[in-house]
Formats: sequence, structure tokens, C-alpha cells
Amino acid sequence: MYRQKYLFLIPGLLTLVAIIVFPLLFTIRVSFSSWDVIQPGLDWIGGENYARLWEDERYWEALLRLAGMAGGTVLVQYVLGFGLALLVWREVLLKRFFRVLFLIPMMTTPVVMSVIWRTIFHESLGPVNDLLQRAGLEALPWISSAGLAFTSVMIVEIWQWTPFMFLLLLAGLLSLPEEPYLAARIDGAGPFRTFFRVTFPRMAAISVGAILIRLIEASKIMETVYVLTSGGPGTATETSSYYIYIRGLRDFQLGYAASLSLIYLIIMIVSLTLIGKGLTRIFVKDQA
Amino acid sequence: MAEIHLEQLAHSYAPDAPERVYALQPLDLTWQDGETYALLGPSGCGKTTMLNIISGLIRPSEGRVLFDGRDVTGEDTRRRNIAQVFQVPVIYRSMTVAQNLAFPLVCRGLPRARIRQRVGEIAELLGLSTFLKRPARELTADQKQLISLGRGLVREDVSAILLDEPLTVIDPQMKFELRKKLKQINEAAGVTMVLVTHDQNEAMTFARTVIVMNHGRIVQSGEPQELFECPATEYVGTFIGSPAMNFLATVPREGRREVPDLGLGLSVPKGEDARSGTWTLGFRPEHVFAEGDGWPLRGRIRRIWFEGVEQVLEVEAGETVFRAKLDHARVRTGESVELRIAPERLALYRDGQRVGAGYD
Repeated sequence: MYRQKYLFLIPGLLTLVAIIVFPLLFTIRVSFSSWDVIQPGLDWIGGENYARLWEDERYWEALLRLAGMAGGTVLVQYVLGFGLALLVWREVLLKRFFRVLFLIPMMTTPVVMSVIWRTIFHESLGPVNDLLQRAGLEALPWISSAGLAFTSVMIVEIWQWTPFMFLLLLAGLLSLPEEPYLAARIDGAGPFRTFFRVTFPRMAAISVGAILIRLIEASKIMETVYVLTSGGPGTATETSSYYIYIRGLRDFQLGYAASLSLIYLIIMIVSLTLIGKGLTRIFVKDQA
Repeated sequence: MAEIHLEQLAHSYAPDAPERVYALQPLDLTWQDGETYALLGPSGCGKTTMLNIISGLIRPSEGRVLFDGRDVTGEDTRRRNIAQVFQVPVIYRSMTVAQNLAFPLVCRGLPRARIRQRVGEIAELLGLSTFLKRPARELTADQKQLISLGRGLVREDVSAILLDEPLTVIDPQMKFELRKKLKQINEAAGVTMVLVTHDQNEAMTFARTVIVMNHGRIVQSGEPQELFECPATEYVGTFIGSPAMNFLATVPREGRREVPDLGLGLSVPKGEDARSGTWTLGFRPEHVFAEGDGWPLRGRIRRIWFEGVEQVLEVEAGETVFRAKLDHARVRTGESVELRIAPERLALYRDGQRVGAGYD
């Protein structure tokens, strides 16, 4: 009679198969085909796509660029988010107002915000260059020079996602017990010692969690690049997901794009796992 | 080391409110150097507030705190040389035991050789020497509590150690050990210790002087024996001792107050009007005996239960119910008994306050 219990699993399992297992298996199959716009369909070409991918410098450059961009933005987000959280953690004037204010960027639509930022960075019509010139400085090629375009994308990402970091870290700070701070005052510790000896060690676990969540999110950077620079100038701001998008949905090389995504997926799983373990080992050693 | 004097001290957490609500009512109190004190009272009675005022974590809304006559009311915690141990053991989790113990000295910029020497001495005293190199987070709760204590002791100039219910989270066996250790340290280091607790046994066994508090007020302060034998108010009588003290309702008769059901009465002290106010007759269950001299207490046993090896009898006589604690009485529920109490053990309380014993 307990046989029936498996029936109740079917809706969940079917959903899982439909949205995860099938697409994944299908992508694996597609990656061994030459499916493209001229010859659609599932033929078998063996590992050709993977061999081509190995030689594709543009793919590996995009991956490296992504690593730099994700690592850089998340690090800055962490420092800024922590700083902001510390500012409105204790009793301060207009605490509630600031707490909400700091969250606003996160609540806006990423694509819309990227459009607005594109306007802000516009080289002849944007307010940034206008302000620079009024201040007697030279206008900067925010979008058209490789280095600055990369920086612009990072600025938008940081602006958009620091609030998320702020939110997680503030929640962490608010959950800290009071006694260690009283003890630190009695022991005669100043603000810096208190931060590095009490706050930071106690925030380590939540910090690692917040950083990992943001790294996973940041590895998907796409809409900012798409709207702000379209990967340009040249390929200066092209990230993995954007490159896969170009290959798959613009050039319609579906077979090749499938192999690109699979390798991307494997690299992400391995590297994020290693980063997670590493961070935990370094910072969260005392949580056991 | 210092004598701590609280002068007209009072504290309200909302000093700007139109109706001032005091967490701590105005009080004067002196703590002698090198003594042990216990602040005893229910949760929310103001004992932790008082402690935090002394350590400087809270600035009192009224009055002054004096250490050896020096006014420290406005002084910052770190300059007061007070050590405080909290209910939850506080350790610096990223540090070793030795680093934890050294921390207050490092913050004060002492030379390294001196720090190492002090840490060694204190670890020896607390029995932590073998753990010095271990990360503090790996120790047990009571060892962590010892580290908290050690961080206070390691400072040579410490005026007093304030213990805010430090034994609450410790296992019963460890509790006993830790309490013994605290006493030893008090004797060895001669440092004033103030223990905040709501556990009367803890207070009575640890402190030379017990201060009973209620509703932000000091109700009575004295040696444990004194609090037990002569509670100044009904509150102290009920709060201290297990079972609580008996307080029986009385009626007036010819300048006396009597408990008609027991035929027990005391004359009120001179100058008091036996007919006004609420009067009760108080005595301890421990002071009742099965036989011997004294006034008789007759009644029927309603209930019997054990507290440790001793028996507690709940006896009813008419409307009146009292309790007696006896070593070993061969009695059963429902039986009639005649117990005895020495007249000098009886006391009259008027409106909750002891007015002395006018037995005749």
C-alpha cells in the first residue's frame, strides 16, 4: 500500500525533468552536433565543437575577463556594503531612512538602470563628461576606450549590487550578541581592535556566504554588458555569458554554443566550490 | 582595589518621559574593598543596571559613582579598571587562550615580557596553563567563562570584578567548581567581587553580604544568616528560603494581633496601633519542630512533599495554612499533628515591613 507514495513525487520530479534534466541532457547532445542556421538538426560530429572551443581564444579571454570583473566588483561591493552596514548599524540619526535609501539601486530593473547609466556615461551628451568639463578637466571616453568601458561596466555592477551585500551584512551585524562588545569596552579595546577582534571574526561566516552568493550572481553578468557596451569596444567588455549569447542566439551556431555553455558550467561549478571551500577555511575556521 | 561608593544613585532608561520610570530607585551603597557581595533579585529588578553603571557601560541619570572617593561617574569604562563577566562566556574566537588573557594588557600597551608573566600567573591561578596555546573557541563553556574571568584578573589594577549571572549557562557540577574557584580567587587576590544572580543558593553560598533587590530598590542588605533569620520585609522572607516563609493573616484583639485558628498571638510594639494596617505573623518553616518546648501549632496535614532529605508538611487549621520543614516525622496526610515553635521565632509584619517581635 505504500507503493502509492511515489505517485506524490511525480509532479515534482516531472517539473525537475522538464526544466533541468531534459535541457541539460539535450544541451549535451546538441554540443556533439553541428546544428547551426544552415544545417539545423541533430547530426553527430563527435568532439569537434570541443576541439574548436579549445582553440577559441575569444572564449578564454572572455572567461578571464569575467573572473576579473566578478572578483573585482564583488570585492568592492563587499567593502562598500560592509562600510554602509556599519554606518547604519548602531543608533544613528535617520537610521531607517538610510537603510531604505541604500537599498534602492537593488530594487530597480537592471536593464533600465543600464540604459540610464549609458546616458550618464554618454561621451558628448552625458552629465559625467559635462561635469568633468565644467570642472576644467578633459572629457573621458567612458564607453569607447577599452579600459574605461571595463571600468564603466564595473561601476554599474557595483552600484546596482552593493545594496544586496549591504542587506546581508546588516542582517548579520544586527544578529550579533551585545556582550562581546561590552567585554571589549571593558578590556579597553578601541574601535579598530573591536572591529578586527570582535565584529570581523563573528561576521566571517555570513561574509563568506554573501560573497559566494554575489560571485554566483556576478558570473552571469550579461544585461549590463549588453546594454552599456555590447561587449565593446572590440571585445573589451565581453564576458562568457555574452559571448555564448553571441555564438548561440546571434550567429545561431547552436551546437558550438552548447559546448561553450557546458564547459562554462563545469568551470563555474569547480571554481566556485573551490573558492567557497578556500574562503571558509581561511575565515570561518572558528565557527565549528 | 578600591572601595566603591554609590551616592544618591538612580537610573531611568527614559529620563525625558513626563512620568519618570526608574529602573533603579535613588540609593546609597558602599562596597568595601576585597569583600564578596551578591545582588539578589528577580529578573528586571535593576541589578544588572546597577552593575552596568558601576562598570561604566551605562551612565546613571542621577547621582555619583565614587571609587575610593574619586568621582568616576563620567569616566569611560576602560579607565575605570573594572572587570565584568557576563552570563554568556565571552571569548575572542579568533585568538588562543593566551592571546585572550593577554588582550586587556595588549590594549593597555604593557611591555611584552610583563604581559607574558601576568598571563602565566593568571593561567596558573585559573588552572588554564595547559590550554594556553589552544584556540579559545575549542574549550568548554566553564573554561570559557574562566577565560572571561581571567581577562579581568590579568589586570593588576582592577578595582572590582563584577559577575553578571556568570554561572547560569554552566553545568551544575561545573557550577560548584567554578563557585569554589571564585571564592579562592577572592581570597588569593583580595579583589572585591560582586555577583548578580537570581539564584538564592548561589548568592547565599558565595557572598559575605547579600543585597536583595526588588523593583529597582534595595529591600534588605546583610549577611546570609541575617536575611534568613530576620527578613526585613515579607518580600525577602518569601524570596529567600525554600519553602518560603509563612505569613499568616491576623486579627486585632486588645493591643495584640492574633491568628485565631492557631491560638497564636503577639502584642504589637509600643506606639503602633494594632487596629490599623495589614498585619501578618511570620515564621520560617525551618523553625517549626515536631516536639520540644514552645508554643503549640495544631492542625491537620494536608500535603507532604520532600525537599532533599527533609519533609515539608502543609498543615491546615481552619482557614489558616502553614508549612513546616522537618527532618523525619512519621506522619501521614490527613493526620492531626501538634507541632511546636519557639515564641522568639515569630515576628510581626505590618504592611509587609517587619515591626519587631513583641511576644509575651
